[in-house]
Amino acid sequence: MNNIVVTGGNGYIGSCFTAVATERGHHVTIASRQQPAFGNVPWLYFDLASYKAFDIPFDTDILVHLAANISTTGFLDIDTEVAAAQELIKLTKKVNAKFIFVSSQAAREHAPTDYGRSKWHIEQVVLAAGGWVVRPGQVYGGELRGLYGTLVNSVSKLLFLPAFVPPPRVQPIHLFDFAEGLLRLVERDDLPSRVYCLADPIPIAFSSFLAEIAASRLRCKVLFLPIPTLVIKFFIKVTGTNWQKRFGLTRLNSLFDLPDMTTASDLETLGLSLRSLPAGLHPSGNDNRRRLLREAKALLTYILKERPDSVLLRRYVRSIEALRGGRVLELPEIVVRFPTLLSLIDSTWWRTDKLAAEFAWRMDAATVIAEASPAGASRFLGISQSEGMFRSICLLANAVFGEVFWRLMRLFVSPILRLAVVSASKELQ
Amino acid sequence: MSVDFDVIVVGSGPAGVSATFPLIESGVQVLMVDGGKQEDVPLPDDNFLSARTYDNNQWIWMVGEDFHALKMRDAVSPKLRAPSQTYAFASFESENQIKSRGFTVVGSLAKGGLSNAWGCGVARLSGVELAEFPFTTSEIDASYEKVSRRIGISGRSNDDMSDYFGLDEYAQPPIPMDGLHKWMANRYELKRTNLNAQGFKLGRSRLAALNTDSFDRKACNLCSKCLWGCSRGSLYSAVHDLPALRKHPNFNELSGFVVDNLHLGHSGWTVTGQTSVDNMQRSFTANKIILASGTLATTRIVSRVLDIKRSLTLLSNPTAAFLIWVPRLLGTKRINGFGLGQLSYSLALSNGSSAFGSTFSTTGIPMSEFARHVPMARRFGVDLLKGIMSSCVVGNLFLPGQLTKAEAKSSDSGTLTVSGSYSSDVQPLMEEARNKLTKAYWSMGTVLLPSSFTVGKPGGDIHYSGTLPMRETPVIGETNSMGEVKGMEGVFVVDGSCLPNLLAKSHTLTIMANADRIGGLIAAKLRSGSTA
Repeated sequence: MNNIVVTGGNGYIGSCFTAVATERGHHVTIASRQQPAFGNVPWLYFDLASYKAFDIPFDTDILVHLAANISTTGFLDIDTEVAAAQELIKLTKKVNAKFIFVSSQAAREHAPTDYGRSKWHIEQVVLAAGGWVVRPGQVYGGELRGLYGTLVNSVSKLLFLPAFVPPPRVQPIHLFDFAEGLLRLVERDDLPSRVYCLADPIPIAFSSFLAEIAASRLRCKVLFLPIPTLVIKFFIKVTGTNWQKRFGLTRLNSLFDLPDMTTASDLETLGLSLRSLPAGLHPSGNDNRRRLLREAKALLTYILKERPDSVLLRRYVRSIEALRGGRVLELPEIVVRFPTLLSLIDSTWWRTDKLAAEFAWRMDAATVIAEASPAGASRFLGISQSEGMFRSICLLANAVFGEVFWRLMRLFVSPILRLAVVSASKELQ
Repeated sequence: MSVDFDVIVVGSGPAGVSATFPLIESGVQVLMVDGGKQEDVPLPDDNFLSARTYDNNQWIWMVGEDFHALKMRDAVSPKLRAPSQTYAFASFESENQIKSRGFTVVGSLAKGGLSNAWGCGVARLSGVELAEFPFTTSEIDASYEKVSRRIGISGRSNDDMSDYFGLDEYAQPPIPMDGLHKWMANRYELKRTNLNAQGFKLGRSRLAALNTDSFDRKACNLCSKCLWGCSRGSLYSAVHDLPALRKHPNFNELSGFVVDNLHLGHSGWTVTGQTSVDNMQRSFTANKIILASGTLATTRIVSRVLDIKRSLTLLSNPTAAFLIWVPRLLGTKRINGFGLGQLSYSLALSNGSSAFGSTFSTTGIPMSEFARHVPMARRFGVDLLKGIMSSCVVGNLFLPGQLTKAEAKSSDSGTLTVSGSYSSDVQPLMEEARNKLTKAYWSMGTVLLPSSFTVGKPGGDIHYSGTLPMRETPVIGETNSMGEVKGMEGVFVVDGSCLPNLLAKSHTLTIMANADRIGGLIAAKLRSGSTA
């Protein structure tokens, strides 16, 4: 357990981090302008602009500096922000606490924006003092606050979304995953003082990010209007600073100029695995369960030849969560919709790789779970159905006919299927 | 110079209780210790098919709340997947410090040991078959009778297997067969001469299963739940013998105590181990120790005490399983019935060896056990099984135990590692057996489904024995005719580890009779000692 002071603890990231850290048994104090509205979190007054030294609790172990100026109107100059950070560092030195600064992907010495440059300057101060720096990618998920809230609102309201050309690229990270990463930096003593980059290692186009918000968070379709980046840049050049700030153009400028971050090794160092963007954009923060339920429905319908009871679906999902780490088998969408099509992949011809072994395991699990129910007794044993030799001959004929038919079908579709399987196994790795 | 007990018996399985009876009856003070695990997943009161039809919670005893059946997907036997049998096999390897390499290892820390989940097969060894044992047939015959009468045996029948089992004089009539087995038995009678000439003999299975009530145990009611556990007590488990032992004041019992080591002190042997109740190391002393903790656990203890570093030969029956289809009964109605062996066969193979096996009803076995092996897409595989399985029986096959080349080796830390594989003779013998069985069952109007014949994994029989064989003149790592370990005077081995051979035929009754014989000898020794 650590005593943690969080500046900006009421913000989008700060409130989430506070909640996660408290849940894990840490003692968190928030330093912010406004008293936190939620919970019984101890509070200290702290304002980035009119910085005054606050009485940092003498037993503080770690200070996480999250406060940042994000208002679109009254920008602080670089010097004020850097000075504030320096004062905070002094405080932590006094009580011998660790200092962690949450910076930005935009941080660069010659960043085109004040924002990026001020972050870079603070980073230098922090590193010089032996502190830790974290650069988050595009943080999303959780409550509709911060930039994420703005983006979701825009996507839901705007008729057309801009698709900048050439597309700026972002590296998303879910709020919970970021809070977890930050917490690991707090908890671990073996990590050297340096810059840690936390985000999806593979950048995606900003427009794809917006499209995913539409698809996975809002479940709506959006139209994109291509806008050349040059036009915006020109507009920024010709308008005055006031205008830029009023229309949030500085932020756009920041976006156009995001450098790619190399994050894989940092994620590995922290042992952090990130949820996928569609999963994270689900309102619950994780749509794994929903997708597992779809998998359960496909497999159980395929085996039982009828709509399975929801109890069976949940049982299957629990078994996968308990024994297979809750990972979803990436079944093709069409198979999930028409479970009969599982006949195409439920055979031995591709059972050599890892995915095939996992598929076989789940088919067996679904069989066992399906069987252990009254519906299963009827399906597997034919209890309370008519019996007799004729009936059995029909069943056998049906089985043989079905097998032969689908084997022929496999011949036709196997080239396409092979491709699908290859891409699915990539996802599984 | 006083000890806590005259004798400490390690293990409450068939061997342990059988050795204890003569001791208790002669008045000596006995402490029986065991792993003490007991069943914790209740079975439905209904018969299998009713429970399957109506019980919405059947998954609790079929799959398990912790998904036991899925966790054990790759285990060698459906029994190991039954949640209600979990207790019988749980934590055996870890608590007994046993490891395996390329060999299936199963053991029990349950009260009653492996007899909680056995196939109930019993047989008596003939004089010829006992030739390797360092005592005469007459020395064990009385024990065969005593044990048979105590545990209750059924299957008496004037058929071709009477002599093979050699138990009819003590046996009750057989438990009724189902329609499929009746049909097969009738067809066998018609083709008998011909089949006998092929070396194939068929008869009722002789089993430690009750056909008539006996004390607290009830006769089999054909409920089809044998695989899941018999709540009526029809199937013998060593647990059923404990009430009779507990009536004697000189019988003492300590559950949840796993023996770690033995030491010889001035006043006798000290048994040390850990109790599961409080995780405390405890120790007890006695003049004599009887090891009946199952071949593997017993072997580990002896290897550790004698610091045996060489590999000890382990006997284990190579196994196979197959499906037999009775086409004439296609579409027959599924009914509840007896779930263990109904008909047993012996089959002569080349070079003088013989195979043994039984056939079972498929009713009480989950169809998913079979679905995995059907080479069809699952959906159609289930269709096929639904159509055909009510007219199928499942069979097993055992080959003599010396055909498995396995060994148990103790490490410096005291861990026992079991490894092994089938000898090169097994594959041709299995092929021969498959061909002969196919032919035999074909002439009985049934079909041994060609792709169903599956050879089991080494060790899957769970018939481990022979690591510390009884010999006329034993060396270190062997036992004398009393099961007394060479180099450990006063320590006797009565479980499978002291068998000098392991035939294809069921060996449990022989272990029990031998344990009874040894128990009687120890009792006599103690009596003469106290009178002297």
